[in-house]
Amino acid sequence: MQAWIEFGQGPLFRFAFVLMALGLARIFVLTLVNVAEAYRRNPDKIINYREVFNKTVAWFIPAGRLWRKRPVYSLVSFLFHAGLILVPLFLAAHVSLWRQSTGFGWFSLPQGLADALTLIALAGALILFLMRAFYAPARALSRRQDYAWPLLLAVPFLTGYLMVNVSVSASGYQWMMLLHLYSAALIMILIPFTKIAHCILAPLSQVVTAVSWKFPAGAGDRVLETLGLEDRPTWVDKPRLGIEREMTRELPEVKPAEKEAKAS
Amino acid sequence: MKVNPLSPEERQKAFANSKKPEVVRRQQLPVQYHVEDHDLQDRPRRFLEAFAAILKHTNYRPALEHYVRVSAKCSRCTTHCQVYLATGDPRDVPCNRSELLLWVYRRHFTVAGVLRGRLTADPGLTDEHIQRMAASFYDCTACRRCHFECPLGVDHALITHLGRYILSEIGIAPRALVVSVREQLIGASGNTSAIPVPALLDTLEFLSDDMKEEKGVDIPFPIDQEGAEYLFLPAVSDFLMEADTLMGNAAVFAATGDRWTVGTGYFDGINYGLFYSDQVLEKVLLKIKAEAERLKVKKILIGECGHASRTAKFFYPTYCGGKEALPVINIMEYTWQRWKEGRIKLNPDVITEKVTYHDPCNIARPGWIVNQPRELLKAFCRDYVEMTPGGRDNICCGGGGGTVSIDEIRPYRTIVGGRAKAEQIRATGAKYVVAPCANCKKQLRELVEDNGIDCEIVGLHDLLYKAIVFDKQG
Ligand code: SF4
Ligand code: SF4
Repeated sequence: MQAWIEFGQGPLFRFAFVLMALGLARIFVLTLVNVAEAYRRNPDKIINYREVFNKTVAWFIPAGRLWRKRPVYSLVSFLFHAGLILVPLFLAAHVSLWRQSTGFGWFSLPQGLADALTLIALAGALILFLMRAFYAPARALSRRQDYAWPLLLAVPFLTGYLMVNVSVSASGYQWMMLLHLYSAALIMILIPFTKIAHCILAPLSQVVTAVSWKFPAGAGDRVLETLGLEDRPTWVDKPRLGIEREMTRELPEVKPAEKEAKAS
Repeated sequence: MKVNPLSPEERQKAFANSKKPEVVRRQQLPVQYHVEDHDLQDRPRRFLEAFAAILKHTNYRPALEHYVRVSAKCSRCTTHCQVYLATGDPRDVPCNRSELLLWVYRRHFTVAGVLRGRLTADPGLTDEHIQRMAASFYDCTACRRCHFECPLGVDHALITHLGRYILSEIGIAPRALVVSVREQLIGASGNTSAIPVPALLDTLEFLSDDMKEEKGVDIPFPIDQEGAEYLFLPAVSDFLMEADTLMGNAAVFAATGDRWTVGTGYFDGINYGLFYSDQVLEKVLLKIKAEAERLKVKKILIGECGHASRTAKFFYPTYCGGKEALPVINIMEYTWQRWKEGRIKLNPDVITEKVTYHDPCNIARPGWIVNQPRELLKAFCRDYVEMTPGGRDNICCGGGGGTVSIDEIRPYRTIVGGRAKAEQIRATGAKYVVAPCANCKKQLRELVEDNGIDCEIVGLHDLLYKAIVFDKQG
């Protein structure tokens, strides 16, 4: 048991952390490269940077936009994110571990505040999970990973909280430590490859969208050249008819009014 | 905003397909809009080829890549789509709509997707999926309202635009749009409404005579004036249907004395390329450029039309010279500026009925034209009320994204697409709804008619024409 814990604190943590850091750095840089490339290939350099900036920060400031629609959900979600980010980075116990092993340390949260944030994050995870499960539009959107994430994220918070605040037997403590370390490692490993990548990519969304709306000049013609259809642009008569072999396959039955059956 | 749910009868009416069953079968396309015959052989493969070619030459890849990574499925956007608010159908949640295309991207254009496809023997893109996209991307009006509500910045209208573009490259695009574009780019008249130049000149002369009678001053429509300051391009349908708007436009210039001109070489602001094809977008803007160069004008002036203004303002620089391209302004911007300078006089006692303002998505969403028309209206309408929500966060009329031109889906537009808007308009109790956009006007007229709302849909310059005063008058 102790060996497993030491593995989790040492090599596993280092591996997961480095993987996360490199993975996030990779997608961040790739996104910037994409943006630069898109910017370069377009003659139109007029981008409303103020607008891009405003829209970007608007989502990080808990006034304005966030509250206008669904204020309760917004509040829960905001606090949840705050706890999620602040506690792992600024918990005194974590910071002192960093200081011990690397010599670097930084500001840490008072324990009371850290506890409160932990509880908030836990409650947030629960509420967000329930909302996903019971609010119909959210359920319609959700994939398996969307349900799994709040639960997985809750594990290190719950175990961490219990270890600090509840006296348990030594072996119970060890089990909790094990869970704490391994779930945290799993989370770190998954972050760059899943939707949680938004933790680093979200600030780039608006600029990505802004350059994507810049359509390079001449692209429409080049697309047709690539397709070998330069003499059949979409606006001529019968542009996409009779280019290829005769139809050979028997066509399946299609119902005319598929949409009539839409959820009623 | 809450919207009354659809009753079963309404649902049936809105989603009934007016097309002949044999056409649907022949084209393998259960969508409500008409499509020209196209090759059905291997549609999925050809869709993917077109997708690949488009990715290669355009800037969509960064957005797709990014959205695939960040989309958190948080469901915030559900509160913001007028289509979803009306239907309550999960397929109409913006994030789900975009997922249709993002799925194809992930499955066929990312390493992980291709690998997973191989391992699980997943067939990949099917013809049924293409049919779903063809329906869904024309249910969306590309109004961009949902973009504001996504914390991760996913722009569903961009995805809708791209989805439609790819579909058009395999032959799937609304016939109504394609036919107009054909006339505009290779037809004899060279404009979407097929108006020949002699008919245009007749109309303008007739309007001038009318105005002379009504206002007692000469209000000309200058034609082919070389070296004029402004080349005027309204939605060409205004020449047929919006005489009052045009008279207002002309009256403003008569008051300010600035030099403007209508060009007989090209006089159509409409650009359906925004709705389904980047290539069309470019070709139409190049027509504007050619006319501007022929007449050596200094600025491009677009009439009261949302999508015409947006295509010119935001894409003219792209295709016509970047920062050196001629500046583009909208007629409301122009009028507002001149009014501020005191060069236009308005009588505040003419319009006494209740007036409200509908923001056309294409000009309001970027925050470009929001306050100018309001300031003008407040200056000469005694009883001006706002719609809520309005401004940048306005609700789409339900006919955006070119869907208003598709007559066969009128029941869908007026029962589903415009449902939220109808309730908004009813709540204001206004006599005049000012909708400075050819598309919005057509949609709102049908909307108030089908929903039994008693009001009149007008352009901003229609009212302004009534209120404008000339010193020489009387
Ligand atoms: S762009 Fe408009 S119509 Fe389309 S999904 Fe978003 S809100 Fe709905
Ligand atoms: S708001 Fe954005 S991330 Fe959330 S469900 Fe909608 S599109 Fe997806």
